[in-house]
Amino acid sequence: MLFQIAWRNIWRSKLRSMIVIGSVLLGVWALTFLMSFNRSLINGYIDDAIRYQTSHIQIHLPEFVEDREVAFLLPDGEKLFESLKEEETTAAISLRTSLSGMIKSPRAAQGITITGVMPSYEKEITRLDEKILEGTFLDGSKRNQIMVSQKLAEKLKLKLRKKVQLQFQDVNGEFTGATFRVVGIYKTGNTVFDLSNILVNRKDLNRLLGKKDASHEIALLLKDKQQLDVVKQKITADHPNLLIEDYKEISPDVKLYEQQIGVSLAIFGTIFMLALIFGIINTMLMAVLERNREIGMLMAVGMNKLRVFGMIVMETLLLGMIGAPIGLFLGFLTVSYFGEHGINLGAFAEGAERFGIQTVIKTDLDTNVYLIIMFGVLITALIASIYPSFKAIKLKPVEAIRKI
Amino acid sequence: MAIIEINNIEKTYNPSKVPVHALRGVDLQIKKGEFTAIVGPSGSGKTTLLNIIGGLDSPTTGQIIINGQDISKLSDNNMIDFRKENIGFVFQAYNLIPVLTALENVEFIMVLQKKDKKARQERAKELLTAVGLADKLDKRPSELSGGQQQRVAVARALASKPAFILADEPTANLDSTSTAGLLDMMAKMNEEEGMTFVFSTHDQRVIDRARRVVTLVDGKIESDIYNG
Ligand SMILES: Nc1ncnc2c1ncn2[C@@H]1O[C@H](COP(=O)(O)OP(=O)(O)OP(=O)(O)O)[C@@H](O)[C@H]1O
Ligand SMILES: [Mg+2]
Repeated sequence: MLFQIAWRNIWRSKLRSMIVIGSVLLGVWALTFLMSFNRSLINGYIDDAIRYQTSHIQIHLPEFVEDREVAFLLPDGEKLFESLKEEETTAAISLRTSLSGMIKSPRAAQGITITGVMPSYEKEITRLDEKILEGTFLDGSKRNQIMVSQKLAEKLKLKLRKKVQLQFQDVNGEFTGATFRVVGIYKTGNTVFDLSNILVNRKDLNRLLGKKDASHEIALLLKDKQQLDVVKQKITADHPNLLIEDYKEISPDVKLYEQQIGVSLAIFGTIFMLALIFGIINTMLMAVLERNREIGMLMAVGMNKLRVFGMIVMETLLLGMIGAPIGLFLGFLTVSYFGEHGINLGAFAEGAERFGIQTVIKTDLDTNVYLIIMFGVLITALIASIYPSFKAIKLKPVEAIRKI
Repeated sequence: MAIIEINNIEKTYNPSKVPVHALRGVDLQIKKGEFTAIVGPSGSGKTTLLNIIGGLDSPTTGQIIINGQDISKLSDNNMIDFRKENIGFVFQAYNLIPVLTALENVEFIMVLQKKDKKARQERAKELLTAVGLADKLDKRPSELSGGQQQRVAVARALASKPAFILADEPTANLDSTSTAGLLDMMAKMNEEEGMTFVFSTHDQRVIDRARRVVTLVDGKIESDIYNG
């Protein structure tokens, strides 16, 4: 019967209760959507980072990671490459020569990371061939091909088939360099990456370095991200002298972004909870105040404090919780809709792309988040119920009844 | 044996600021089955006395013994439980829970007493029938007249099987027909069930129905008369 009383009491002041219920509903809806949007945005970023930059796993000599010196070559890199290529878990793999140097056009020059790749393998792993705006991907058919990004081309005033000068140190520390011809211009969407990276054929780079089998880096893409830890452990065990890193280690900002999903849930959630707590407390205090006489009467005839407390808590919980499932459901519908159709960030894309963010966001949300939000609302309502309930049991029946 | 025994009760409000001596040494014994009116001019201390008897307020000095138990030493929460089991209350107004029907209001006190559902529904129906509201079981208080609401309150008070029922000016808000009806009903419960009633009133017609009339003046008992 306490439940009945609590339930009916909520509808005594319809408008007031509807305001709270509506706020919870809208809040939960917005929260669900925001969380999903945020998550998709970040996952998109992470996927992009894995795709174009880090892959799942990278293998280097530890010294190379410390200090990107040309001399820190992978020992037997080609052999390791061949054996990992055959692994069941491998989706794609690439062997690279990587070094820092200068790129010089007739108009400008700048420092750059030069990566020598094996085109057919590299295509599979970074899919840069899909991001080509003009020209083609490297193919090794001619000597000294180079691929630059659109941004860098603009900056250096480069065009397709134009020549550009690369300078760097060879394995003996001697300065060397050569003229390369632009065969392709690409755009990944990540401006920072685009401005600091160029691609050439590993064959050409190794010849200039004076070491045909030179390699610094193996990038590995797995069929299943879930296998990351297992594969990483296995390679580490087999090659204790090498540094095996996963994408989170390679790119700490990716790890940060992954944590960011949790952090933003916490931040949005806390703001929402605080607003809700004040709203609910306010409404319930009014309700308790209005019912002073009634509550006094109940205590006079024999309703003890625990029961009065329980009645107000129950009423508060009901009030707080009614809107939540509806809000979650609307959130689910919205997320599903945008999961299907995507949200076009059109107008903002210019800014977003600079940070490597995709411009069409397809939302998705894991079921955990629904549970967390539901639980959060429950906790919020519980916290909000404490003060009004205490107010209620502090009433002195004589005083409440005197006012009759 | 007296079910209510109060000895030398004094009650002073605001003892530190402007003291109001509401009761100045009241002794009273009420036996089972009595039908007692507490009367007196406004401000004479009727409500104060009933509140103290009902354990809603505590005296400044003196002793209250209900059913042989000294209740002045009970904690707040124990006092609530004591009231639930031993005392029925009828107030001047706002006796009922507005969101419950007449039947549920009567049942409610038995819910607090943890009676099982079937037993309490039966008893609630029985009592509402006895107070003449058999056709109003499903009505909410707002759909009942003042007199009908007070009858529900009496039924609720009876439902808990208390030792006695306290009613502070139960007819104050009622017209004369409803007043007579309520009094008839209370008298019937008193005669047929032997229920003890203690009520305060200003109303001469109500005073005339009482079998014992205790008159308070200025916080003291001025007279205590049995009418046949
Ligand atoms: N909470 C209180 N604080 C201070 N004084 C009080 C309080 N309650 C009652 N009094 C005073 O105590 C005295 C007795 O009041 P009480 O309400 O018991 O009288 P009463 O006989 O019931 O009067 P009425 O017929 O008007 O209901 C009055 O002088 C009243 O003003
Ligand atoms: Mg009074």
